[in-house]
Amino acid sequence: MSSVNIKVHHVTRVEGHGNILVNATDGKLEEVRWEVPESPRLFEAMLRGRHYDDVQHIASRICGICSIAHSTASLHASEAALGVRVSDQTQRLRKLLFNAEVLESHLLHAYCLVAPDFFGVGSVIPLVDTHKEVVVRAMTLKRLAYHLADLLAGRKTHPISCVVGGFAALPDMDKLAAVRGALVDALADFDATVDLFKSVSVPEFERETEYIALKDPAEYAFISGDVASSDAGIVPIDEYRSVTNEFCVPHSTAKYTKNEREAYQVGALARFNLNHEQLHPRAAEAAVELGLKAPCHNPYMITIAQVVESVHAAEDSIRLIDGLLESGVHEEPEVTDIRAGRGVGAVEAPRGILFHEYSYDDNGILTAANCVIPTNQNHNNIQHDMEALVPTILDRPQDEIRLALEMLVRAYDPCISCSAHLLQVRFK
Amino acid sequence: MREHSVLVVDDEPIVRESIRDWLTEAGYRVTTAETGEEALELVAARDFSVLVVDLRLPGSTGLKVLEAVKSERPWIRTIVITAYPSAETAQEARRLGAIDYMLKPFAPDDLERLINDTLASIPPEATVIGEAEAPVAAVPVAEAIEVKETFVVDRDGLRRLFDGLAATMQTIGVVEKQGRYVFARVDEFDDLCLNYDVTAHPPTRYLFPARETVLKMDLGESPTTEPISEATPQVLFGVHPYDIQAIELLDEVFLTKHSDPNYISRRQSTVIVGVDCLRPSPHAFAPSMGTDRADTGFDLLLTDLGDRFMVRVGSQRGADLLAEHTEASAPSDKEIATQKALLDAARDQYEVTLNVARERLPKLLEDRYHDEYWEERSATCLSCGSCIMVCPTCFCFDVVDEVALDLKTGERIRRWDGCMLTDFAVVAGGENFRHDKASRFRHRIFRKGKYVLERYGMVGCVGCGRCKTACLADIASPAEAFNAIAEKAKIETARRLIGKASPDAGLYAPRPAKLLRVEELAANEKVFELAFEDGSALGHDPGQFVEVSILGIGEAPISISSSPTRGDTFELAVRNVGNVTRALHNLKKGATVGIRGPFGNGFPIEALEWKDLLLVAGGIGLFPLRSLIQYVLDRRDRFGRVTILCGTRSPQERMFEAELAEWAAIENVEYHETVDRGDDTWKGHVGVITTLIPELEISPAKTMSVVVGPPIMYRFVIGELKKKGLADEQIVMSLERRMKCGVGKCGHCQINGVYACQEGPVFTLAELRSLREAV
Amino acid sequence: MRPKVAFFDFTCCEGCQLDTLNIEGQDLVDLVSAIDIVEFREVATGKADRYDIAFVEGSITRESEIPRLKDIRERADIVIALGACAHIGGINCLKNHLPMDEALEIVYGDDAKYYDTIPARPIHAVIPVDFSVPGCPINTAELLRIVKELLLGKTPALPNYPVCVECKMAGNVCVFERGGSCLGPVIRGGCNAVCVTAGRHCWGCRGLVDDPNLDSQKDVLTKYGLTVEQVVEKFKIYNTYTEVAQ
Repeated sequence: MSSVNIKVHHVTRVEGHGNILVNATDGKLEEVRWEVPESPRLFEAMLRGRHYDDVQHIASRICGICSIAHSTASLHASEAALGVRVSDQTQRLRKLLFNAEVLESHLLHAYCLVAPDFFGVGSVIPLVDTHKEVVVRAMTLKRLAYHLADLLAGRKTHPISCVVGGFAALPDMDKLAAVRGALVDALADFDATVDLFKSVSVPEFERETEYIALKDPAEYAFISGDVASSDAGIVPIDEYRSVTNEFCVPHSTAKYTKNEREAYQVGALARFNLNHEQLHPRAAEAAVELGLKAPCHNPYMITIAQVVESVHAAEDSIRLIDGLLESGVHEEPEVTDIRAGRGVGAVEAPRGILFHEYSYDDNGILTAANCVIPTNQNHNNIQHDMEALVPTILDRPQDEIRLALEMLVRAYDPCISCSAHLLQVRFK
Repeated sequence: MREHSVLVVDDEPIVRESIRDWLTEAGYRVTTAETGEEALELVAARDFSVLVVDLRLPGSTGLKVLEAVKSERPWIRTIVITAYPSAETAQEARRLGAIDYMLKPFAPDDLERLINDTLASIPPEATVIGEAEAPVAAVPVAEAIEVKETFVVDRDGLRRLFDGLAATMQTIGVVEKQGRYVFARVDEFDDLCLNYDVTAHPPTRYLFPARETVLKMDLGESPTTEPISEATPQVLFGVHPYDIQAIELLDEVFLTKHSDPNYISRRQSTVIVGVDCLRPSPHAFAPSMGTDRADTGFDLLLTDLGDRFMVRVGSQRGADLLAEHTEASAPSDKEIATQKALLDAARDQYEVTLNVARERLPKLLEDRYHDEYWEERSATCLSCGSCIMVCPTCFCFDVVDEVALDLKTGERIRRWDGCMLTDFAVVAGGENFRHDKASRFRHRIFRKGKYVLERYGMVGCVGCGRCKTACLADIASPAEAFNAIAEKAKIETARRLIGKASPDAGLYAPRPAKLLRVEELAANEKVFELAFEDGSALGHDPGQFVEVSILGIGEAPISISSSPTRGDTFELAVRNVGNVTRALHNLKKGATVGIRGPFGNGFPIEALEWKDLLLVAGGIGLFPLRSLIQYVLDRRDRFGRVTILCGTRSPQERMFEAELAEWAAIENVEYHETVDRGDDTWKGHVGVITTLIPELEISPAKTMSVVVGPPIMYRFVIGELKKKGLADEQIVMSLERRMKCGVGKCGHCQINGVYACQEGPVFTLAELRSLREAV
Repeated sequence: MRPKVAFFDFTCCEGCQLDTLNIEGQDLVDLVSAIDIVEFREVATGKADRYDIAFVEGSITRESEIPRLKDIRERADIVIALGACAHIGGINCLKNHLPMDEALEIVYGDDAKYYDTIPARPIHAVIPVDFSVPGCPINTAELLRIVKELLLGKTPALPNYPVCVECKMAGNVCVFERGGSCLGPVIRGGCNAVCVTAGRHCWGCRGLVDDPNLDSQKDVLTKYGLTVEQVVEKFKIYNTYTEVAQ
């Protein structure tokens, strides 16, 4: 048996910076480590002292890919803390906006970050030549999602119009109707996507772990519901800390979490495992086609679950747009009445459950903030997955081991730069 | 040919019938009446295009018929015929609206021609036929719609017009947005706002958009371009008069001289339906700029009378659209009065006025160019550009190229720009020709109050008040700037009057000077040497003139013929041509004359120093030029090569011969002389003075030429000098005009906009190019 | 010859790089036929030794980032700051108002000792930068324009007029007239006033114009009802690193 020394500095095709370390001598595994050397962002410190009108704007900048998720969680937390209720119109618009991000993020991940591995290339760029149709399809769908977000919030990356209490500008109904038409056409493209991902061979690896996601009796939850665990029961979002239990490790600027077991998983697979019965029909069919069945314990299937969720997001968007076209949208008055308080907002970012918790004084100034990021919640699980995986493949060539580990990390669709700043905050 | 109906009223059967037959032959439908009453009954029952009526009728007179027609059917063209003309009846007939007053007997084809011409201006849609009901209220009838005429439509009628327009063009109107008004696409008539104060952005953006493509380009080895000017038919519905006038300015700018294809195609596809502003913005000052009403520049102009609208037709297109889409009736006197009352009341509501007549603005501003106001006022300017971006009369722009990523195709784009932005006047290399806020601020106000008016003949600011609202530092309003400047001017003037201004007591009183010497030069010319009693010098520059007084006779302007370098006395060479000069010629040595001056600007010594000089004297042009020649010879080392050309008509008319001989003899002076016609004694050059020029060798780059002579000579000499390569700036002339007061007030010596006694009499050819009266 | 282009990131949210992949109206196809992307960690595995153009997103907030940035400068002919964080420091600089220890303690508690952080700064504070694409996130049309101009051999320039110009061109009603407050009058345009058009106001993410009249802007903001502290707070969000907020 030989030695294995793998050090991947800054894994590519993931958001943010992460390192993989494996050392084994004579078949004996000495060290497996998933490191997060990302710079601490210190958002909790930066949010303190800001007026609620600026909080979503700043919190959005935690992440460029899931800025809508952070914006939504931030707004929910602020509204819960300040005692602001939002209308049904706002909720529907927010769901639609969220779908746009889920769609875009999953497609980016599946096509640009993961698919290259399945085709044996370094990035999506060579695929432009070899699989032009595939790439063009992906780009078109992504652009449609971007366009939808533009219509609803002025811009997809760091949305503008969403404010505490609702929306500062309303979408053009004619353009929304056009997007609906485009989505219906795009559903056909989804069939092709499903076919594509059906054809790839997903690595086989299983490790049962705890799965945590939002659960809402009314629908497949993204921005509503309570915290559900595959092991334990359901917990209201206000009590999220009892679930997340954050702690620090020296080799990571991101905190880790654990609940019932030594680690838990969040994300598309967790959502699928917990809520698969609530998928829209075409999405459920896609799951069947892709061989995804609940409960699934193979982290490499997270990407497949994302494909299923993309179909669901497209279907859900059509449903929501139909509702908006029928009811029309109406301008709503600005928020004026607020009070001091403390509140939690929880959403299912593409990568998993996301919590924002804020405290405000009665001038509407934020006094404390805490954010628990999905990828944080996965770091521990990634570590455990690696510890379980590596011994089983230690006899393979070093390059294969390395690729398997990189693919494992990529499967989780980590959003590392978000994750590097959550932490403990003293709440008053 | 259209069928029009004519009513002929005459008690004489032969007149009646012959006119009837002739006009029927010509294609008209003729009805006749014998008496006034019959005529009135007919007019009451139905409508006619034309009425021909005899003055003398049994019963009701022709004038009474005219009166009735005017009040009931004022659109009927009336022609009076009579065998008994008089001034009174003619006047009365005119007052009652008759278009002509024909004397019997007249040729029937004259009548026919008159009727044809009158009716020719009515568009084909006019229908005048039909049996009307007994006229109770004014029944709207599709009328002959004429440009400049005013009609009334009710709200539904206006709605029909709007809907009719909406079927074939985009309808742009005023709607509310976030607490203000804006122009936007409006699909429903009921969503239109016609009673707004002012829009946040002007409607001019629909003719001159913020960004448009002017060229499509194909790049590569041999690039090509294709002009793009697309325009969608549109109607701007509800444009206030000040904006209409702003559009007229843009028309002037973009439609004349190098007409702009993009503007043209938009303008031609735009219908303008204006509406009078009855609710002015508190920041507007349109009446002060003459823009609260509009007479031209619109297709239709509405006034909201409450339950109905007055509609004034401003163009043929407006007339056609009105006739096509809706019914309009003639306004009643009451409605006309209501409109006037509303417009007058609106005018009274304006809160801001100019404290100075706007015609005075150009001069006021010019005088205050260096005032500290510009710097003080602009200190808080953010250079944010808001004022120019909301202004209806701003139209500065930039042109940039954008390319596609493959670098194979591209577009040339025009987009708004403006003088208030920091880098507007920057050139490549970094120099910024208006780099400080004060100069930019001043430039904008000058544009609004002076430059645009001078350049285009139209006001540069329509007083809409948008910039005042948009300016966060609240410094933008031109009204405030104009008033501030006017205030300063008032203060200055007041100071001048109140202060210890010392009057120029001797302004019109001449100083006595003695004739020291009188010498004959030629048949009608003498030279006088003068000195003041106290021996002081005149203190003049070569090229200036004095006013010579012979008290009791008058004053005459005389060029000074000697150089100030020649001592304290001065010489005047004078031709005997008028009363004063005759009196002067009769004076002997020792006599006293009066002298005022010196006046005028003199020859530009600084421009002449260090250059080669070509001095050309024609005839008595030598008189003023001699002062310069003497000066140059006295300061010879400050000048390059000196060439003197002298020309006279004949050898007998030569003057200052001895001095000429001196000049000829000077070594470093090139001297040539000619006479137009020679004689036996003359051994020199013969020919007009221009003939001396071609053979000269001069270096055009460093030569200045000074030419003085009779007007006829100038043209030809200048022609030769240009051939030698001299630029306009290098040719200096002295012009003669009727100088009187010498101080630029009496007005006699004006050449276009300048005073010859102030800005002249010496001018460069370059200056004269813009004085069209000069040569 | 397509220029060799690389994308790097430091402390940032990666939104600017992400948006680069989603260029409006252009397929990735067109972009890659115009430039040769040799390194782009977020979406590609691949490295190179030298670059014609290096885009850098993110600000510098740790000692360890400095040598990496300097290395990029060595290996690139042209360095372009991508986004507000790289251009002017961005949101990351908000933490500069707290002493670093306090910030770490707030966030990491007792474990603060594991982490290092220095006051955040834009990349031009560390290396000379050739061009910048401002904004949070960037305006991809502007990025494209800069790329095209570089391909054409032009020297790209950023607009030097405030956001107000584009806001008016877009036909917006001014935020101040609606009762709000806005930094637009002193902030560099080029974003088409997207935030105001979307119903909000300008936060200043593109940085100040070359010669802003800051005193006047502060006067304007106080005239419209803000206290001096509130005015300073508004500028702090993106413009902490410039003189303004100091």
